[in-house]
Amino acid sequence: MSQPEILNQAFELGYTYTRSTGPVVGRFLTGLKNRKLVGIKASDGRVIVPPMEYDPDTAEELSEFVDVGEQGEIVTFAWVKEPREAHPMNEPFAWAMIKLDGADVPMIHCVAAKSESDVTTGARVRAVWADETIGFMTDIRCFELV
Amino acid sequence: MANLAAVVGIGQTSYTTKREDVSIAGLVREAAVNALEDADLTWNDIDAVILGKAPDMFEGVIMPEVYLTDALGCNGKPMIRVHTAGSVGGSTALVAASHVQSGMFKRVLTVSFEKQSESNAMWALSNPQPFSTHLNAGAGGYFAPIIREYLRRSNAPYDAGIKVAVKDRLHGARNPLAHLQKPDITMQEVEESFMLWDPLRYLECCPSSDGACAMVIADEELAKKSPKPPAWIRGVAMRSEPTMYAGRNEVNPQAGRDCAADVYKQAGVSNPRKDFDCAEVYVPFSWYEPMWLENLGFAPEGEGWKLTMEGATSLDENGDIPWNCSGGVLSSNPIGASGMIRFAEVARQVRGDAGEHQVDGAKLALGHAYGGGAQFFAMWVVGSQKS
Repeated sequence: MSQPEILNQAFELGYTYTRSTGPVVGRFLTGLKNRKLVGIKASDGRVIVPPMEYDPDTAEELSEFVDVGEQGEIVTFAWVKEPREAHPMNEPFAWAMIKLDGADVPMIHCVAAKSESDVTTGARVRAVWADETIGFMTDIRCFELV
Repeated sequence: MANLAAVVGIGQTSYTTKREDVSIAGLVREAAVNALEDADLTWNDIDAVILGKAPDMFEGVIMPEVYLTDALGCNGKPMIRVHTAGSVGGSTALVAASHVQSGMFKRVLTVSFEKQSESNAMWALSNPQPFSTHLNAGAGGYFAPIIREYLRRSNAPYDAGIKVAVKDRLHGARNPLAHLQKPDITMQEVEESFMLWDPLRYLECCPSSDGACAMVIADEELAKKSPKPPAWIRGVAMRSEPTMYAGRNEVNPQAGRDCAADVYKQAGVSNPRKDFDCAEVYVPFSWYEPMWLENLGFAPEGEGWKLTMEGATSLDENGDIPWNCSGGVLSSNPIGASGMIRFAEVARQVRGDAGEHQVDGAKLALGHAYGGGAQFFAMWVVGSQKS
């Protein structure tokens, strides 16, 4: 029996894109550039960070911005024991859902910690800003334990 | 026999080169809110949302329907995303219509969009693909040789395309939503614009636009209660054929002829030029007007250009069968929405709500879209009366 011949070809596709972020996401990104975190008030009064343009329950347009703290607490997490090249940190770290002070909905980011046992639900964390901020999610380099 | 359905709300954004003030979500939202307001409805009145757009690679937002559910009020409701290349705006409207005609839903919202300013629509149309020779043509490069073949077969005068380019821009100047506003355009200006894809000059091609279009489609009972006149859907049809088969008739595609025959039969149309009051037909490059005049049976094969040259398709020349009164794709082209704009604009006509580009007393009209390498066809007939 002959082996079937499997076609194999290296393939790379590349385009340049632009993005208009609009009045809500744009405001959040501008806040990051200025090292400020901003959320938005939903129809039921909850504060959502990052802000959403439209209410996730009622679909109403949202516009009431709320400043939130750069500290918060871990809701839940996953420990990354052996970071790979694509990960944001070279040392072991945690992906965590972080509820910022003043927010009602958690936001995902990475948390620097010496060991897995230091990371717990309810642990307090604080944002560590990048040396240069550009209006992008990575302006928060990571969170660290308080 | 399908249940009756009608367009009860229409919403469009204006069409322009760049909408830098809104996100993609903000753009689709604007059209959807306009359609709801036109129908005097709220998000709670909608049973399902049917969304369409051209390839994801255009804006590089993969599966945009995932991100647009909150902007379109889909929470707790079914949402379906449709894709059939450039005809998608038309086929999306037809998928929406079929969900009402089948009795599945009473009232659906359908939306389509493109934000070409954020995109790479020229080259994302013909992506290189593994294990295939790269076409690398762009839309005009693909269609130009087909147009050249039409010229050979029909012996049309060289300036029929130029005439279409002028006519549709004069129509567009009547429509405040149209992207290109060229009320003073002349045959000479088009002729002197540079040759982009021979025989297509720059001004014989559609622009790249940002924009979105939306409609609310309702069943008979709800449509009768609608505050504005409904546009009754009298026929719906889609047809496809294989793009890569070199033996098909690309000048006068069989799928287009079959699709037209099907939709005409449903609507009781025997003589399209006589029976329709107007049509919105997907003409992204000037020569597609005479080509589709033939493909859709408005003129015998080889004679579509005669209608164009006589002014039969022109509002400004009091033509008997005006085509693309809104300015058509040649005046605005947010690709994913362009087909739906054709469908919505004929609905506006039979509702008597088309403003400065209204055809007086329009009662029956054809909306048309094509896409892929003239591979997908979508058409509907709408009327001011149920039958």
